[in-house]
Amino acid sequence: MYFAQLAVNGLVQGLVISLAAMSITLVFGIVRFPNAATGDVMTVGAFSGLIVYPLTGSLLLSGVFAVAVAAAVALASHLLVFRRLAGRSVVALLVASIGVGFVLRSIMGLAFGHQPMVFSMPLSRPYRLGGLAINPLDLQLALLALVMLVLAFAILHLTPIGRQMRAVADNPALARVSGIRSGRVMAALWVLAGAIVGAGGVMLGVKTVVGPEMGWDMLMPAFAAAIFGGIGSPAGALLAGFILGVAQEMSTPFVGFTYKIALSFAIMLIVLLKRPSGLLGRIEGVR
Amino acid sequence: MTILSIRDLRGGYSEVDILNGIDLDLADGEILTVAGTNGAGKSTLAKAIVGLLPRSSGVISFMGKDIASLSAEARMALGIGYVPQVANVFANLTILENLQVVSSSNRQRIEELFATFPLLAERRRMRAGSLSGGERQQLAFARALVPKPRLMLLDEPTAALSPNKVAASFALIRQLPSLGVSVLIVEQRARQSLAISDRGCILDGGLVALDGAADVLLADQRAAELYLGNIGNGGV
Repeated sequence: MYFAQLAVNGLVQGLVISLAAMSITLVFGIVRFPNAATGDVMTVGAFSGLIVYPLTGSLLLSGVFAVAVAAAVALASHLLVFRRLAGRSVVALLVASIGVGFVLRSIMGLAFGHQPMVFSMPLSRPYRLGGLAINPLDLQLALLALVMLVLAFAILHLTPIGRQMRAVADNPALARVSGIRSGRVMAALWVLAGAIVGAGGVMLGVKTVVGPEMGWDMLMPAFAAAIFGGIGSPAGALLAGFILGVAQEMSTPFVGFTYKIALSFAIMLIVLLKRPSGLLGRIEGVR
Repeated sequence: MTILSIRDLRGGYSEVDILNGIDLDLADGEILTVAGTNGAGKSTLAKAIVGLLPRSSGVISFMGKDIASLSAEARMALGIGYVPQVANVFANLTILENLQVVSSSNRQRIEELFATFPLLAERRRMRAGSLSGGERQQLAFARALVPKPRLMLLDEPTAALSPNKVAASFALIRQLPSLGVSVLIVEQRARQSLAISDRGCILDGGLVALDGAADVLLADQRAAELYLGNIGNGGV
C-alpha cells in the first residue's frame, strides 16, 4: 500500500515531467535542437501563476495566465534568437538556448529574488480511496495537465497548423515544396511548446516551491523523458514522463529524496545505450 | 509556348558548382527526360529548378517569369510540382493528411485525386510509411498534383520501384500532359523514360551534352554507346 501511495504521488510529478518533455520533443522534432531554455520558460509559467493566484484565488485563471505568458516568452525566444540562428549547427542552437535560459533565470532572480515562494493553497482533506489518500489539489492539477495535453494533441492531429507541424517534423524539404510556410509553422510551434511547459510550471510551483532555479532543475528529468519516450514523439514523451515520475517517487525509500533525480540520468543512459529510438520513437525520425 | 526556360544555370552544393552552365527549354504539354551518368548533375538540376538548392548564376524562367530568386514555397505556388527521389511522402502522416497538408488543398481536390488514385482512397487512414514502394509513389504523385501544377519534376521516379512496377509508373507519367501538366523526368532508366518522352537531354559534367527529340536520341549511335547503355536492358 505504501508503494501504491508513492505511485499515486508520482503521477502528478510525472505529468509535470511529461509536459516539459513534450515541449522539448516538439521543438526537437521540428527545429531540431535540444532546447535547454525549456525549464526556465517553465519557471516563467510558475511565477506568472504566482502573481495571479493571490489576486483571483483561482487555480484555473492562474494556469491560463501562466500558459499565455510562457507561450509569449517562448515565441519571443524564437523571434529574437532561434529564428536568427536557423541553419546553424545543433551545438550553436543548444548553446544559445542555454544562454536564453540563463537570461530568463537572471531576470526572474532580479524581479522576484531568490527566497522560495509558495502558492498559499487552502488545506483540504484528502479523498480516501481503498486506503489510498488522494489530495483534491492533485486532482485539480492533474485535470489542468490533462486539459493541456488533450489540447496539444488535438492541435497536432486535428488542425491544419498541427498537420503542418508534423509534416515539417517529418520531412522539411518536402514540406517546403508542398508550399508549407515554415515561418507560420515555427511561430505556432513555439507558442504551443511554451504553453505546454507553462502549464507544467504552475503545477510544479503548486506542488513544490517557486524559485528562479526550479525549472532548470527539472531539465534533466524532462530531457530523460523526451529521450526515453523517443525524441520527436509527443505520445512517447507523455508516457515516459509518467513512468519517470512514478519511478522517481517509488525510488525515494531506497535512495532518498536528494538522489531520486539521479534515476533520470540512469534511465537516460540505459535508453541511449540499449534503445536509442526510445519507447515510441522511430530511428528515421532522428535526423 | 515554352513553359520552362533555363539559361546558363550554374549552382550546386556550397562552394562547388555541379551545374556548369545548363541551357534547357521545355514546351507546354511536353515530357522531357533528363538523362546522364551518376554525378552528371541530373538531380541537382531538378533541385535547383524547384528551389531546394541555390544557383550561383543563370536564369530560370517559368511561364515567362524569372523565378531563380524565389523561395521553394513561392515556386510551388506558381505551379511547379516536385516528386523527390527518396522520402517523397510524409511517412508519419496518413495518406489523407499527406494530401491535406499541401498549402492549397481542399476537400473537393482531394476527392478528385482519390478518384484518379482509387488505391489511395481505400487506404486514406493508413500511415504513408506503411505503404509499399508503388503505393508510396502514387501518393507522392497525388501530393504533387494537389495544387494543379503546370510543371512536374520527377527525380528518378522508378529508382525505388520493383521491376514489375516500373511500366505502370511510366504509364502514369505518360498521362500527366492530358491533365495539363508538363513533365521533366530525371531518370537512370533512360531508354524506358525516353520511350514515353517527347524530348530528351543528356547531361555530362554539369553541361547539356545532347539535346533533341526522344526518338532521335534513342536512335543515336553515340548517345546509345555513351549514355543509354545497351539496347534492351533499360539501364544506363
